[in-house]
Amino acid sequence: MLVSLNWLKDFVQLPKDVNGKDLGTLLTLKTAEVDHVIDESADYENIVVGQIVEITAHPNADKLKITKTSIGKETLQIVCGGQNIKEGMYVAVACLGAKIKWHGEGEPVVMEKAVIRGVESYGMICASVEIGLNNPNEGPREILDLSALKPEIGTPIKDVLHKDDIILQFDNKSLTHRPDLWGHIGIAREIAAITNSKFKPLKVDIKIPETGESVDVKVKDKELCPRYCGLIINNIKIGKSPDWLIRRLKAIGHGIHNNIVDVTNYVMMELGQPMHAFDKALIKGGIIVRTAKKNEKIRTLDGKDQNLDTNMLVIADLEKPVAVAGIMGGEHSGINENTTSIILESANFNPSSVRKTSVKLSIRTDSVQRFEKALDPLLAEEAVKRAAELILQICPEAIIAGPITDIQKFNKKPLKITLDTEKAKSKIGIEISTQEMKRILENLEFKVTEKGKKTKTFVVEVPTFRATKDVLAEDDLTEEIARIYGYDNIAPTLPQLPTKLPLENNERTKKHRTRELFSYGLGFDEVYNYSFYGLNEIKKSLLVESHHLKLQNYLSEEQTHMVTSLTPNILKNLQENVKNFSEVKIYEIGHTYLEIGEYFPLEEKKICGAILVKGKSDKIFYEAKGCVESFIQKFNLSHVAEAKGAKNTPYAHPVKSLTFIDHRGKSLATCFMLHPTVQKNYDLEKYSIALFEINFTETLKLEETKNSYKRIPKFPSISLDVSVAVDKNVEIGTLQSTIKNAEKDLISDVKLFDIYEGDKVEQGKKAVAFSITIQSPDKTLTDSDMANTQSKIHSSLEALGGKIR
Amino acid sequence: MQEILKRLESDALSALEKADSLERTKEIEVQYLGKTGHLTIILKGLKDLSDEEKRLVGPLCNATRTTLEEHFAKKIKEFEDKQLAKELSKEFFDTTIPGSMRPLGHIHPLSQLQEEVERIFSQMGFAVADGPEIESEHYNFESLNIPKDHPARDMQDTFFIQEKDDADHGRMVLRTQTSPVQIRAMEKYGAPLRLIVPGRVFRFEATDASHDSMFYQVEGLLIDKNISLAHLKGVLAEFLTRLFKKPVKVRFRPGYFPFVEPGLEVDFSCLLCEGRGCRVCKHSGWMEFMGAGMVHENVLKAGGINSKEYQGWAFGFGLTRLVMMRYGIDDIRLLTNGDLRFNKQF
Repeated sequence: MLVSLNWLKDFVQLPKDVNGKDLGTLLTLKTAEVDHVIDESADYENIVVGQIVEITAHPNADKLKITKTSIGKETLQIVCGGQNIKEGMYVAVACLGAKIKWHGEGEPVVMEKAVIRGVESYGMICASVEIGLNNPNEGPREILDLSALKPEIGTPIKDVLHKDDIILQFDNKSLTHRPDLWGHIGIAREIAAITNSKFKPLKVDIKIPETGESVDVKVKDKELCPRYCGLIINNIKIGKSPDWLIRRLKAIGHGIHNNIVDVTNYVMMELGQPMHAFDKALIKGGIIVRTAKKNEKIRTLDGKDQNLDTNMLVIADLEKPVAVAGIMGGEHSGINENTTSIILESANFNPSSVRKTSVKLSIRTDSVQRFEKALDPLLAEEAVKRAAELILQICPEAIIAGPITDIQKFNKKPLKITLDTEKAKSKIGIEISTQEMKRILENLEFKVTEKGKKTKTFVVEVPTFRATKDVLAEDDLTEEIARIYGYDNIAPTLPQLPTKLPLENNERTKKHRTRELFSYGLGFDEVYNYSFYGLNEIKKSLLVESHHLKLQNYLSEEQTHMVTSLTPNILKNLQENVKNFSEVKIYEIGHTYLEIGEYFPLEEKKICGAILVKGKSDKIFYEAKGCVESFIQKFNLSHVAEAKGAKNTPYAHPVKSLTFIDHRGKSLATCFMLHPTVQKNYDLEKYSIALFEINFTETLKLEETKNSYKRIPKFPSISLDVSVAVDKNVEIGTLQSTIKNAEKDLISDVKLFDIYEGDKVEQGKKAVAFSITIQSPDKTLTDSDMANTQSKIHSSLEALGGKIR
Repeated sequence: MQEILKRLESDALSALEKADSLERTKEIEVQYLGKTGHLTIILKGLKDLSDEEKRLVGPLCNATRTTLEEHFAKKIKEFEDKQLAKELSKEFFDTTIPGSMRPLGHIHPLSQLQEEVERIFSQMGFAVADGPEIESEHYNFESLNIPKDHPARDMQDTFFIQEKDDADHGRMVLRTQTSPVQIRAMEKYGAPLRLIVPGRVFRFEATDASHDSMFYQVEGLLIDKNISLAHLKGVLAEFLTRLFKKPVKVRFRPGYFPFVEPGLEVDFSCLLCEGRGCRVCKHSGWMEFMGAGMVHENVLKAGGINSKEYQGWAFGFGLTRLVMMRYGIDDIRLLTNGDLRFNKQF
């Protein structure tokens, strides 16, 4: 919202030393955010009124003239190319130092002394566009002729053009909760309070006749329209508004129409009360305020046809809707050049009804912006009187036809709030006297009664323009005191540390440690993905759509379902990254959301990681498995067992997959090669992809194994290697346990170090080599101990069909 | 005899002094201490002396020998060290070959900053709390004093889940703020309460370089007896000063949020110009940072906390925005598109 400082001065005696910028800052700190402060005169510095006293020909250029131009205190030689210049003409002179846009275009340049075709020139005689004006009567090579105005020579041009205003641009969002600030008078009241200056209330001087013709108004829904004031004014002559009014509306960026519409807009910008004017001749019968009938339509002033529904409040005549209440008038009944008689509407509408209708019809207007904030019903009457006053002033022949029709149903009982001043002080965190608090509230037009000397309680009566929504409870008064006292005056203080330590968030800590493990320990890069994917992703990953929560409103077809698995988005990441990397190792920690037939879904935290390499490799499966094992080891998870396959993981390879389960049989983690079909769906056939998924939420429920110190063995260990050829499909796990069981007490470790398949072993066989550690807690082992153990191992392996190599 | 020995010693030492190579030093050593060296001859002659003379001269001779041996050994060591140093310096060794290390992975910048934020607030006694990302209208709006027809509840701001509507919970939404955790924490722990909630939030709004439908927020809540806005200023200034590792000032302005009263907009002094005004802060000297305020009594009530006894404040700031500021990231979408050319920079 734009606010004019000149306009504000109608209502507040501003301190002399306050400039626009300071005022902007002050309002930002105490009231609402001022985004910009625009000084209209800034572009007109060093541009003054001049008079051409003499014109001579330029010796070197036909199209240029040499002028002697008086600017009052001196006479300047200026070379000018304007075709319309003549001696005695009043012109705008840009003196040295002025900032000018050449021919009204580009960045402004600073005027300097110039030599034009050999003749010195001390300034420029300006065309309209060069000083930001648009004069349609001026030819392309002509300059601005000010002769008609006969201004005093030397007068700054900003005064002649009335470019002397300062415009404050408020951030509308910061005014959301303040219906009273949507007009100049409200801002003026606020400025008076924060600068301790005098507020000058609006005095409307108008006589409304006690008898005569008045509008017939029927309000069918008084909830949606608590007040409706209507007034008939006859003998209107539609025309152009006076300059002062146009200037004010233009200064705050408002469009100009005709004297009647401009007045209604002026009153809105002044008081914050939207108004509407109907051409009385086009209203059949009287005014009926009602909700729209089924299938009713209206063409609004913007020329658009709107379909109304039965929740929308309209202003209608006997035949049809003539305006959408509080939003926009109808085209048919609007003011036009033939209008001679008008009905002025100044009403109060239910804020949420106005807002809903405006959203449904997609119409945002200045009127909506104000009504949706909950306006003071008392404003309606003041506004209609003010508008009548202005219309009579602009259009002296106009005649008010009769009394104001005023249909109303609203609570007139003043709102009173009890304020515990001690509590207010303790919330703000300042020492402030009750007298100071009282003064602050009274400056904002609250009425304060002190109750009891000791209790320090106020009974505060809220002014009507604050009582609709903004100030309803004790804390709202605390805010008034705090902001006017000044948030800047609050000294930062640290609260005392609590006597109890904060609750530990084990999950958070583990999440951070997990990231360190995967990123810094295992070399993975962390990624973040959206919490949604599309049906396409679900299909490509072979997931079931019905397990998903679906968004009612979504931004794209790729973001329609809440994820039940992190894998599909991770696969998308792989797909993108193979363009730049030949190997990728990534992981994500995120939430999954599973529909389980209750109100809240099952929301779990998961870790999903992927390893991608070029070509065929099953080796990365074991790397993925190793990642899960590292995680289990890092967090000392107890009683974890392995089970073949991966349930509920349709994108996993059916055989190259493994599940880690806990003692209850709950799945904690899976690792797997990507299913070939899914791999194809993601165009990743040239790569091998291994993944792991850890159910972080489930792992948090597990107890951690206690890690206690074991004595370092006193006696040395012996290591021996065994290589055995077995059938290809004998599992390493079987071999390992066979070896271990061959001499349980002595064998402390069995490590796989090689698997070989190829020319050097029989077909259908593989050679497997283990490094075995034997150790006794009681004695140093002898060569015969070793030989003994070795032969036991050999015979156990041979019993499995193995051949020792 | 004594004098002979003294002269011999000083002759030997001055010869040693002049020796300019290992060879020369060894020659001199032989001259004096070799089988037929000057001192050796004297030592050999000792046996011809009387016992009394032996007692007198013997120790002198030995002392001289020890002195000379020590000096020679020292000189020889010097030459040998020099020699070794010379040989070592001639070796070619390339230290510019890159170190062989296992490449480290990268933790996402949001995770990194989040941990920092959690650490600082933990040190000030704040717990870290969590809540679900899918919420009910009740927790996301109603209990936060955002009634049914409030603009914040318009479709353009909130994602809704299909076919989820319940008399108690209302419709199901993707949480638009971390604030619902305020209520959940009040219900679970009661007062006093001191916590932060970093987490993912969603807004139904078109994506561009500075807006995303998903981002990260940090909610803060402190409820106790006599907690004031002065404490809010203190905690935030301390937090920012620690985070940015330089003194940061905090400014309050009036602001409106339904769940706080008084409501505030909080700015901090521009990190670049320190409040003097520059391009980054649009010449205001301040950076807009977050919304905050004293928790609205309706919110305390909804969380089951007695507002006569307890009071406090809440704040919420954008972690995503902070990350973008810290690293000068100009497109928010880089944070969620998984492009490793981006992620590997942190």
